[in-house]
Amino acid sequence: MSTEHALRTQGLSKLYRRTWALRDCTLALPTRRVVALVGPNGAGKTTLLRLIVGLIAPTDGTVQVFGQSPTTNTPQALSRIGFLAQDHPIYPRFTVADLLHFGRSCNLRFDQDLAERRLSHLDIPLHRKAGTLSGGQRAQVALALALAKRPDLLILDEPLSSLDPVARREFLQTLMVAVADDGITVLLSSHIVTELERVCDHLVVLNHGRVTLSGDIDMLLATHRLLVGPRATANLDHTPSVIEATHADRHTTLLVRDEGAPAAPGWQPHPVSLEDLVLAYLRRPDHRITAPARDVSEAPR
Amino acid sequence: MFVFRLDANSGVPPYLQLVQQVRQAVLLGFLQPDDRLPLIREVVESLAINPNTVAKAYRQLEQEALVTGRPGQGTFVTHTPSAIVSPGTYTSLRRGLESWLHRAYAAGLDEHAVNALFSTVHHDAKVEGVA
Amino acid sequence: MTWLTWRQHRAEALAAGLFVAALGAILLTLGLPMHSSYHDGIAVCFNGAFIDPAMCSTNMARFQQDFGYTTAVLTMLNVVPFAIGAFLGAPLLARELETGTWQLAWTQAVPRMRWLAVKLTALATLTVALTAAAAALTTWYRQPLDVLNSRFAPAGFDVEGLAPPAYALFAFALATAAGTLMRRSLPALAAALAAFVVVRVTVETALRPRFQPPVTLTRNRFEVTNDWVLDSGFADPNGHHLSRAEFEAVSDAADAANTNLTTYLHDHGVQGWISYQPAERFWAFQRIEAGIFLALAAILLAMVVWRVKRRAL
Repeated sequence: MSTEHALRTQGLSKLYRRTWALRDCTLALPTRRVVALVGPNGAGKTTLLRLIVGLIAPTDGTVQVFGQSPTTNTPQALSRIGFLAQDHPIYPRFTVADLLHFGRSCNLRFDQDLAERRLSHLDIPLHRKAGTLSGGQRAQVALALALAKRPDLLILDEPLSSLDPVARREFLQTLMVAVADDGITVLLSSHIVTELERVCDHLVVLNHGRVTLSGDIDMLLATHRLLVGPRATANLDHTPSVIEATHADRHTTLLVRDEGAPAAPGWQPHPVSLEDLVLAYLRRPDHRITAPARDVSEAPR
Repeated sequence: MFVFRLDANSGVPPYLQLVQQVRQAVLLGFLQPDDRLPLIREVVESLAINPNTVAKAYRQLEQEALVTGRPGQGTFVTHTPSAIVSPGTYTSLRRGLESWLHRAYAAGLDEHAVNALFSTVHHDAKVEGVA
Repeated sequence: MTWLTWRQHRAEALAAGLFVAALGAILLTLGLPMHSSYHDGIAVCFNGAFIDPAMCSTNMARFQQDFGYTTAVLTMLNVVPFAIGAFLGAPLLARELETGTWQLAWTQAVPRMRWLAVKLTALATLTVALTAAAAALTTWYRQPLDVLNSRFAPAGFDVEGLAPPAYALFAFALATAAGTLMRRSLPALAAALAAFVVVRVTVETALRPRFQPPVTLTRNRFEVTNDWVLDSGFADPNGHHLSRAEFEAVSDAADAANTNLTTYLHDHGVQGWISYQPAERFWAFQRIEAGIFLALAAILLAMVVWRVKRRAL
């Protein structure tokens, strides 16, 4: 049953000194998806990703990747996960060929041909020292290393943040082709939403160390919408289906999660964009995060 | 070969953009029956887009019977003349819209006002079941 | 893993190897003339076959004059264990943490405990091998001096035998641990140096003289050349060690009696005393000294392992 999911976490928590970097995170990510992990800086994204690849051990809770615990750090568990840390660290004094040798000598399976093909396709010479490569090339080499492991789950921590627009596009091209060719599951974190829509089909929003939204993007866009109508006088902050209310002088805009129920008279429904949806969830005050909006019965009608 | 493009800031979901582009191309005759659409992997590589999104767009186009998948060969535009307007009709519709636009600008409307007017009328027409 | 360890640390390993090779070349160049001068002129004075005191003292004086710099050379060799150990230890984890590559290294299929075990073993072995070689060279270089002054002197004890490899392993562990905590190679080296000096000086001055209870002798004349004299003074007939003030009083009394001090002391039964560690305890002391530093190194390395295992930095 756990094999249906690439990743499952149950009550996952991580305490650093006296701060909860991650709090009670329960997630189930289906396989063969490209999952965006979105949240502001300091939301706990890196902590969650490091827990998933077994770089750190949880304070509480469990994490399973294809049914195995990465925390045990066994070669088998490590083999199924590819990880690309923020800023794409690789050994600067190694040549690209050295890095491939490193990958081969430290992995149970390593598809050197594949990595070499990808790199030559990108015109990255094998004899170059990694430290002399451009940022985009370094990211590509790090990605080629991670993909050559032929992982079932690929984890990328802020893969785009340090890249210029051209390098970004090339990086995503390589990544998406790998998804098309190998059918891997990808989990990538970002704090920029606009560029995620074309590459991701599943979304996890993390805020203040907690998961506030999780699901297939199509489903999320279908179940959320904007309702525009006369200025509401009632306090809607405690209506669970209302994610966000914006009041103007004479009208009110509500972002609701109402599963597409017919709107009340006088309220005009509009589809919501992914970016607005994410932003609304990120703007929610801390105290409302504990109760994820599920109840649709109290939608304004 | 047909080439897709993607506008990240349009607010239209990527799969819908692909669907609309094929619809439009078929309508305008840029895509003819038996033309092959690019393979999913080709679209993925040129647009850096999620393969599932392309697959979803192609599924929707198949459901609309605009295209049909032939196993091992690719996805091809179906012979659907009913959906295609004749070049003459197309040209005349276009002329009509152009002259309407001239009148609107001459009346002092700016681009935003023209767009708003068109959207409202289009919306209302849809509600009344015309479109 | 073996390949990775070699590829990552070959620069330091080669540099440390060259350092020891150069050291060997220097010691050989300086040592060969010293050894031949010793064998030709002085060795005979100690084997008891034929002694011409005049010739011996002339040769000894010349030997001292020609090779007096040897002590300075030997004192400089004190830096060797730290240089090798810290140079190999500091980057082990600090460089990975500095460049973020720990996240790359520990997410391949090699569990990080194994990664750490291979690296620590390889580099610690190299550290010990290189310093043992340097210590062996030093032992050979110092040989002529062994009969002339004590091997317990800092220019002997600290640079030959078992102590230098143990110091080096301690320096290696210290630098590795400092690198783990500070996440930067250079600050780690500086911190390790400070801690190393403090521990070395403390052990040398406060602990080493007490590794075993010193032997105390009370006599009129002493023949000590190779023993380690810790303290000396005068004692009254009851064996009571005279303080400086008490000895002043005795000296004043001799002056008052208008007697030669030596005669006065002899007449009143005041004898000299010395407290010392006999030369034959050299290896026992080496073992204890090495044991202390190996234990400290083990504690530090256990700390590094625990840190990498537990919270992964």
